[in-house]
Amino acid sequence: MKRGTAIQLGTYGIVCLAFLLVPSFVDDAFILNKYARYLVLGILAVALSLSWGYTGILNLGQAMSFGLGSYCMAMVLKLRTVPVHTGKAGLPDFMVWNNVDTLPWFWEPFHSMAFGLFAGIAVPVALAALLGWFVFRGRVTGVYVAIITLATLVVVNLMIIDQQRFTGGFNGITDLAQLEIFGLTFDAYGSSSYYLIAAALTFCLFFALAVTKSKAGLVLQAIRDNENRVRYFGYDVAFFKIFAFSVSAGIAGIAGMLYTIVMEFASPTFLGVQLSLSVVIWCAVGGRQSLLGAALGAIIVTGMQGALSESETFLKTWTLIMGFIFVVVVLFLPKGLAGVVEGLSNRVFGHGDSSKPEPNIVPDSLGAKSEAESLR
Amino acid sequence: MSKNGQEHLVLTGVVVSFNGFQAVDGLTLKVSKGELRCIIGPNGAGKTTALDTICGKTGLTAGSITFMGKRIDNLEEHQIARAGIGRKFQVPSVFRDLTVHENLEVARSKRSGVLANAFCFERDSEREELEKLAEFIGLQECLEIPAGHLSHGQTQWLEMALLVAQDPELILMDEPTAGMTVQETHKTAELFIRLKEKHTLIVVEHDMGFVKEIGDVISVMHQGKLLAEGTVEQIAEHPEVRSVYLGTGGIGSA
Amino acid sequence: METFLAQIITGLSIGSILLLVALGLAIIYGTTGVINLAHGEFVMLGAYSAWALQTFLGLGLIESLVLIFLITAAFGWVIEKVVIRHLYRRPLDTILATWGIGVMAQQAIRLSAGGELRYVEMPSALGSSVSVLGVETSAFRIFILLFTAALFGVTWYLMYRTSVGMKLRAITQDREVASCFGINSQRTYSLTFAYGTGLAGLAGALVSPLKSVSPEMGTTYVVDAFMVVVLGGVDSLVGTVVSAAILGELTGFLAFLSNDTIAKALVLLTIVILIRFRPQGLFAARTRT
Repeated sequence: MKRGTAIQLGTYGIVCLAFLLVPSFVDDAFILNKYARYLVLGILAVALSLSWGYTGILNLGQAMSFGLGSYCMAMVLKLRTVPVHTGKAGLPDFMVWNNVDTLPWFWEPFHSMAFGLFAGIAVPVALAALLGWFVFRGRVTGVYVAIITLATLVVVNLMIIDQQRFTGGFNGITDLAQLEIFGLTFDAYGSSSYYLIAAALTFCLFFALAVTKSKAGLVLQAIRDNENRVRYFGYDVAFFKIFAFSVSAGIAGIAGMLYTIVMEFASPTFLGVQLSLSVVIWCAVGGRQSLLGAALGAIIVTGMQGALSESETFLKTWTLIMGFIFVVVVLFLPKGLAGVVEGLSNRVFGHGDSSKPEPNIVPDSLGAKSEAESLR
Repeated sequence: MSKNGQEHLVLTGVVVSFNGFQAVDGLTLKVSKGELRCIIGPNGAGKTTALDTICGKTGLTAGSITFMGKRIDNLEEHQIARAGIGRKFQVPSVFRDLTVHENLEVARSKRSGVLANAFCFERDSEREELEKLAEFIGLQECLEIPAGHLSHGQTQWLEMALLVAQDPELILMDEPTAGMTVQETHKTAELFIRLKEKHTLIVVEHDMGFVKEIGDVISVMHQGKLLAEGTVEQIAEHPEVRSVYLGTGGIGSA
Repeated sequence: METFLAQIITGLSIGSILLLVALGLAIIYGTTGVINLAHGEFVMLGAYSAWALQTFLGLGLIESLVLIFLITAAFGWVIEKVVIRHLYRRPLDTILATWGIGVMAQQAIRLSAGGELRYVEMPSALGSSVSVLGVETSAFRIFILLFTAALFGVTWYLMYRTSVGMKLRAITQDREVASCFGINSQRTYSLTFAYGTGLAGLAGALVSPLKSVSPEMGTTYVVDAFMVVVLGGVDSLVGTVVSAAILGELTGFLAFLSNDTIAKALVLLTIVILIRFRPQGLFAARTRT
């Protein structure tokens, strides 16, 4: 194993361990719930880093997978709600209000917890694979991918809002039961949920790391760099992109399911344009080409947002500050915080780890020119 | 020329037109296994376009291409590559963000499926093989440097090493010696003669000295058509070829 | 027949607003390659300028148009100087930076003008309705239609009949070569960006009497405007017009058949499919690559 890889594995392990140890120091249920929310958004950022940072697919519709996962979990938990909140024959309350008298067919399988958990990953993956097939087979690239993913997100969002009778519309799905599997209850404000989420973040980080370190991960990075050249080595570029796109959707789906658990509802804002663009911001701040960087970027940015919006002094100016920080990061730190850390560690350890030398300035200006041209 | 059935690559009546402009106009070309074929011709003769059709970059307007007895002109680029055709482009195109070593690993593509590569990591024996290759092209010190940091000459060498790592049956080279010094050109010729043992090569080239050094059979293209074919001496004597090159001082001094 | 005609006119009215909003974006994106996600915020700034001029100085909408154009253009010019010019070589990063600028602009307005909805009065002369081919239509909407047509004419003239436009098109083709011929690309880009944002400001001012003015109003406009530009083909001004008209008619027609939400979803789906099969836009010329 290369020394660089060993250092990387160590760093990932230490950070994940630190996350897992948090409940030993924090016993305020409210704060723990807040931290759990940040970690879930960290998972979402890992998903985008895989497709954007490693494969060059700028997916502006990442929230679609997230929201679908969230709705799947909410549907399962809604059907388990104690009858006081639901209508007769276990019909969800909002359906009763909308004069629906039988459970629609696509709700039926969600009586099964196993199906719900499966669907929370499978539905986003299947939809991503379908969209990926449609887009990448046609060799659509760059900004056009960004626009198509964004438009698809808006379409799904509009459909969910429009079909109020079956989805709860603007209000989403609320009043949910608590998740119970294998005799364990996951209370949104308990440490059990936090542990579940920290474990999921650890799993997703290491899974994504394994993908990027594999030969397939290398091909994905080659595609990001020079898609056409990869074809002449015999790789089916579209398939590789569909693969990355779908794996990323699956991870986002997991994050969405977990988000329903900590928030105790699912809402159309979970697949909103606002959230979807925010994920891009988190990745950019943390470092899009680093999985851990992206996760930490999400946690730091949302954590800061939370802290600033709660403080008296910054109540009104925090968005202004966030916007400013963001513009500065894009202008001066194109590799995000991860790039800064990398640069520092290279300086400290000297040339011991030469696998990633200092942030390259020369190729950036030259390499980006072809990007500029391909956009025209 | 070889007999029927032994032909490795056959282009029959290939036509490529861009908005009515015929870049390649009824080209017929046969290359046998293990041959090193040079294609020469004035600017705009359609040499690069001819290579583009073989590797699938450009679609045919008419005609057909067969490789090892199979039609390939209707395949996608990656399928053609899997059938055993590798290509070096005129403009250096390596993966600038990846290290030299990673570039070579991507190029080694005998197994090209997504899932086959999903959780597959490099073995030590494979690494040694690539290190040897890097040594051969003089990049052993640069294995962990991003390819974007290499000099122009080093990039050219890396590109050729990528083809060696890919190990295709047929290699298409577009102006491999462009921008090289005399020594480098000479070293490239050596490399080609080595490659010839295991591969079939088609080389588009301007440098006649280089062509003389490596070529068996030379095909001359002019205005999208095949003008002449033969050994270096035959081509130099060919009256039509002389007239095409007239004014540039004849073919020998080009 | 009359409903059909009314439908066509509604569609044209929607289309003209789309074009008005998209024109500035088309010019910026088509020439500099900058994807200006803050475009909607410039529309919003234009609307707030109209509101401020009316409330504090008592200026009518029509009289303030020139001022509004200058105000938003000045904002655009400053932003180009401070942020955008560092990103011409990283076009995808312009999405991120301009989004950040948009967030800041929204919050700045919220802090200075307040977050509540504001209303701009329609010019009294245009408050009535007129009869077009037997269909009663708001005079103000007809005014927007004509004004947009005039703006498009001016823009086309600037791009294709003046030396600044020619320089701009030369830079679009190849920036380095253009610089070699002594064209000052920095200055031309600054002017283009300022002009594009000025147009956005005008769009905001003109739609302000039709819709309420709020700090968030830009978000919807920027998505619509992008769809128009991409569909029309990035460097085709005429394509932008046609695609605005098509999208306007399509939106009006589908909204008539079902509801607004479904209409919007269907329009977006159509756009997704069109981009998939013609990423270069509907009206871009094919070139050899």
